[in-house]
Amino acid sequence: MITRRNFVTRMAQGMAASLAWPALQSCKAPFHPVAHLSGPNFKLGHRLRAMNFKAPTAEEQTDVVIIGGGVAGLSAARYLKKSTSTFVLLELGEETGGNAMGGSNSISAYPWGAHYLPLPNDHDAELITFLREANAITGYENNLPVYNEYFLCFDPKERLFINQYWQDGLVPHEGVPEKDRGEIESFLALMHDFKTKKGSDGREAFTIPVEESSQDPELLKWDAITMEEFLRQHHFSSPYLLWYVAYCCADDFGSSLNDTSAWAGIHYFASRKGKSANAASDAVLTWPEGNFWLVKQLRQNLEPNIRTGALAYDVIENAGGVEILYFDDKSQTSRKIKARAVIMATPQFVSQRLLKADRGFDYKTFQYAPWMVANITTTAGLVERKGEPLSWDNVFYGSQSLGYVNALNQRVGMSSPEKVITYYQPLLGADPVTLRTRAYKTTAEEWTTAILNDLTKPHPEIEETIKDVNIWIWGHGMIKPVPNFIWGDHRSRAANPVDNRIFFAHSDLSGISIFEEAFYQGHKAARAVLNIV
Amino acid sequence: MLISVFVVATCGLIYELVAGTLASYLLGDSVTQFSTIIGTYLFAMGIGSYLSRFLKNNLLSWFITIELMVGMVGGFSAGVLFILFEQVIYFRVILYSLVILTGTLVGLELPLLMRILKDRIEFSDLVSRIFTFDYIGALFASLLFPLILIPYLGLLRTSFFFGFLNVSVAWVVAHRFQHDIKGYKKLKWSAVVCLALLGTGFALSEKLTALSETLTYPDKIVYAKSSPYQRIVLTRGTNDWRLFLNGNLQFSSLDEYRYHEALIHPGLGRLDHPENVLVLGGGDGMAVREILKYPSIKKITLVDLDNAVTDLFRSNASLRNLNQQSLLSPKIQVINQDAFVWIRDQQETFDFITVDFPDPSNYSLGKLYTTTFYRELYRILSPAGCLVIQSTSPFVARKSFWIVDATLKKSGFLTQAYHCYVPSFGEWGFVLGFKQKLDVPYHFPAGLKFISESTVQPLYSFPPDMTVTESAYNTLNNQVLVNTFEKEWADYTR
Repeated sequence: MITRRNFVTRMAQGMAASLAWPALQSCKAPFHPVAHLSGPNFKLGHRLRAMNFKAPTAEEQTDVVIIGGGVAGLSAARYLKKSTSTFVLLELGEETGGNAMGGSNSISAYPWGAHYLPLPNDHDAELITFLREANAITGYENNLPVYNEYFLCFDPKERLFINQYWQDGLVPHEGVPEKDRGEIESFLALMHDFKTKKGSDGREAFTIPVEESSQDPELLKWDAITMEEFLRQHHFSSPYLLWYVAYCCADDFGSSLNDTSAWAGIHYFASRKGKSANAASDAVLTWPEGNFWLVKQLRQNLEPNIRTGALAYDVIENAGGVEILYFDDKSQTSRKIKARAVIMATPQFVSQRLLKADRGFDYKTFQYAPWMVANITTTAGLVERKGEPLSWDNVFYGSQSLGYVNALNQRVGMSSPEKVITYYQPLLGADPVTLRTRAYKTTAEEWTTAILNDLTKPHPEIEETIKDVNIWIWGHGMIKPVPNFIWGDHRSRAANPVDNRIFFAHSDLSGISIFEEAFYQGHKAARAVLNIV
Repeated sequence: MLISVFVVATCGLIYELVAGTLASYLLGDSVTQFSTIIGTYLFAMGIGSYLSRFLKNNLLSWFITIELMVGMVGGFSAGVLFILFEQVIYFRVILYSLVILTGTLVGLELPLLMRILKDRIEFSDLVSRIFTFDYIGALFASLLFPLILIPYLGLLRTSFFFGFLNVSVAWVVAHRFQHDIKGYKKLKWSAVVCLALLGTGFALSEKLTALSETLTYPDKIVYAKSSPYQRIVLTRGTNDWRLFLNGNLQFSSLDEYRYHEALIHPGLGRLDHPENVLVLGGGDGMAVREILKYPSIKKITLVDLDNAVTDLFRSNASLRNLNQQSLLSPKIQVINQDAFVWIRDQQETFDFITVDFPDPSNYSLGKLYTTTFYRELYRILSPAGCLVIQSTSPFVARKSFWIVDATLKKSGFLTQAYHCYVPSFGEWGFVLGFKQKLDVPYHFPAGLKFISESTVQPLYSFPPDMTVTESAYNTLNNQVLVNTFEKEWADYTR
C-alpha cells in the first residue's frame, strides 16, 4: 500500500515529461499538441512568434497546400484526394489529429480529446459517405443506415453519481424531488419542440452543420442572450436542471451557462436527428481511442501528401497564386511551395500570424476554452458505490469535471481488472486567458490532487490502484459560442476566402467545436478550391 | 437497572440464536444443531447460575466485568467461528466451548442482578419485575432476529452489534454507580477498549464474510482457486461432485449427463457426418465427452477463457473420470482465449458449434448473447451445420430465454427451441440455430442415458407456462437481455 503523499510524488515524477510541455509555455499555447508532449513542437510553434527563419533552400510546386492536420485539414485532404489535383498537407506536430488526438498504452488505446460521434443527420451526405467508406455504416435497411455494431456505443452507456448512488443515464432522477423532475421534463419537452421545429424560411430550426440552420429571426434571437438568461426567461430554476444544462454546455462547448449563447445551448439538444436501422436516435459511435479512430480513417491513403513537423510560417499572395513558406523540423531547413490555392485549416488565432491580409473582422471575437484531459491507468478494478456498473460515460453530479470515459467499454472480451479512464475537465469560471495561464502554472501534484479528490467520492481508495496519470492541457481547446458569436458578423466574415486563393476550414468558423463541423468546413473549402484549380 | 435486565436478556437470547443459526449454516441439519445448541446453552446458563454463589464482594463491579466479558465473547463468537470453520478440524469442540462459555456468563447475569437489587426493591416485586423483563426481552429478541437483524444486518454484524449493546450496559451501569464501585476507572477504560474492538469488528464484518465462502456451499470444498477471471470451487457431497464458478452451480455429477446430452445430441445427432466441431465455454470437457461419441468427428476446438478450469479437468483424476478423459483426446485442441476476441479473427468453418457460456448475468457476459456475436457464429458455421446455445431456464427466466431465440433469429438463423429437466438445475432451455432446414432423421450414438429418438421429440414442445413471450433482441448497444435476466432471477429467488 502506498500513502497519498508518496503516491503524489511518484505521479509527479512520472508526469514530469508530460507536464514539462505546458510548464514551458509561458504565454500563448502552440497549435495542435502532439503525442510526445515535451520539447521540439512547442519550440517549433514558438518560433512563429520570433519569426527568425532563414531563407528557403528548396522550392516545389503543387496545386493546393493545406495548413493544419486536424479534422478539418484531413477532411479537406480526403476530398482533394478524390480529384486529380496535387496537394500537400503541412502539420506542425509529429502526428495529425488535432483535437481528436489519441494515444495508447499496454492496456488500451485512449482518447486525448473528442471521443464520440453522434449518429449524423441524414442530409449530412458527405459525412455519411465517409462513414460508409470507413465501414462505420455497413449497409442500408429500409433506407436507413445500418451502423457497424462494433462501433455503436456498447451498453451500459451512461451513469450519473448522485445522492451517493450511480443512477442510469445522465438526466438526474435518483433522489430528485418530484417538482425538480417535473421541471427537467418540461425543459426536455421544450428542447424536443425545438428539435422538430422549422423556421419561417422552411429550414430546420437547429441542425448540423450549423450553417444550414434556419435564419428565422425568431430563432436567431436566442443567440443574443446567454443560456442562463434563457432558463430564467422560461422560469426554470431547479438546481438539478441547472446543473444538467450547465453540464451539457461544458461538455459540448467548454463554457458555462453565463457565457454560452442560448442558441448554441439549444443547438446541443435540438440539432441531432440521426436515424438508423439498428440503433436508437440518441446512439453514438465511439472507439477506444475516441475520434482518433475517425482521424485514422480520414488519413488513409494520405500518407504521401502529409508532412509532419512542418511549420508553415508565411503565406504570400502573388500573381500566379500563393507561396507558402514552411520550416521542416527534421532537416532544419526552410522551404517554399508554390501553389494555386491554400486551405488554412488552422484556428483563427494561428491564421492571424500567417496572413497579412485584412480579413475584415476582429480576431479577438474568437475565444477558445482551455481544457484539461487526464488519462488514468489503474492496476485493478475501481471500488464501486451502489447502483449501475461501470459504463462508457461516468459523470458525477455537482462536480466541476465532466467525469470520465471508460476506454475499455468497446472491448468485446471479458472486462479486464486494469482500466484506462479518460477524465475531462473544461476550465471554467474566468476569462480564457486567465484560465489558460493558470492551467499552465498548475503543477503535476496540484492537478493530480484535484483529480483524485473528485474521483474518490464515487470510487473510494482509487489512489491505491492508480498506475499512472498523464495530463494534457489544451490551451485553446474549443471555440466558445459566446452570445452573438455564431450569428454575428465576425464569424461569417472570417469564413470568406481571400482573393479566391486563400480558403479557410476550421470548426471555429462554425462556432462549435465538433467533428461534424470540422469535417463540413474541410469538405466545403476543398470543394471551393476544386472550382479554381 | 431494570432496563439493563431487558437489554441483557435480549442479548443473551440473540447469542443463542446466532450460535444456532451459524451451526446449522455451517454444519447443516438445522433441527439437530438448534436443539443441541439451545440445550447446551441453557445448561451452561445453569452452570453460571450455580457459580454465581461464589462471587461474594463487589457485586456491582463483578456484574460490570461479566457484562464486558459477555459482550466480547458473544460479540466476537460469530466472527471467530466463521474464520475458524475452514481452518480447524475440531470445529465442533470450539463451537460448543464458545456456547458453554457464553451461556455460563449469561447465566451469571440474572442471579447477580437480583442480589444487587435485593436491598433496593421488595423481593416479590423484584422477582416479578426481573422475570417480566427477562421474558419480554426474550420475545423481543426472537422476533427481532429473523425479521430485522438477519435480513438487514446479517449474522456477523448482529453478533457484533449485540456485543456492543452488552458492553454499553456495562458502561452505563458503571457510570451510574461510579461511587459504589471499586476500580471504576479501570472498568470504564476496559469498556471503552471493548467498544472500540467491537465497533471495528462491526465495520469489518463485510470483509470477513467475503473471506469465508463456506456459507455458500452445502458440501465440503475439495478445491478452491481464484483465477484471474473467476472463483473456481469444487465440492464433494455424500454422493456427488459439484463445480461452482463464482458461486454458480455448473454441474452436479449426479445429473450432469442430462444437461450435456441435451446440450449436444438434439443438434449434433441430426447432422450428416459432422467432422469439425467448435465448443465455446465448457472447459469441464463434459460437452466434448458427448461429442466424441460420434466417430465421424475429426477435430474439436474448445475455446474457454480460463485455463485454470481446463487444466483442472485435464489433470485431476476424479474429474477426468467424469469427462472420460475427453480433454486428453488427440482430436481436441484447447484454446484459452476470450471467445469473442477469438471468433472475430476466425476463418475456419465448423459443422457444429456448442455455445455453453455462463448465464447473461452481467454486461460482460451479455455481449456473448448479442446479434453481433451470433452473426460472427453465422459466418463460421458451415451451410448444412447447426449450433446450440445454452439459454438459461425458460421457466425461471422465460423472457430471457425467448430473447436468446429472437436474437438468433435476428442474426439470420432458423431456430428451434427445446428444454429438459435437470434435477440440480431445474427446468433448463437450449436453442438450436440452422442456416437451412434440417429434416433428417436422428442418429444418436449408443449408450445415452437421457436422449433417445422417443425422448427427444417432447423436448421441443413447451407447456403454456414457458411459451414464447418476447420478440425483443439483444444487441451490444442495447443489452435488454442482461436487465431482463437480472430481474427475472431476482423475482424468482426473492
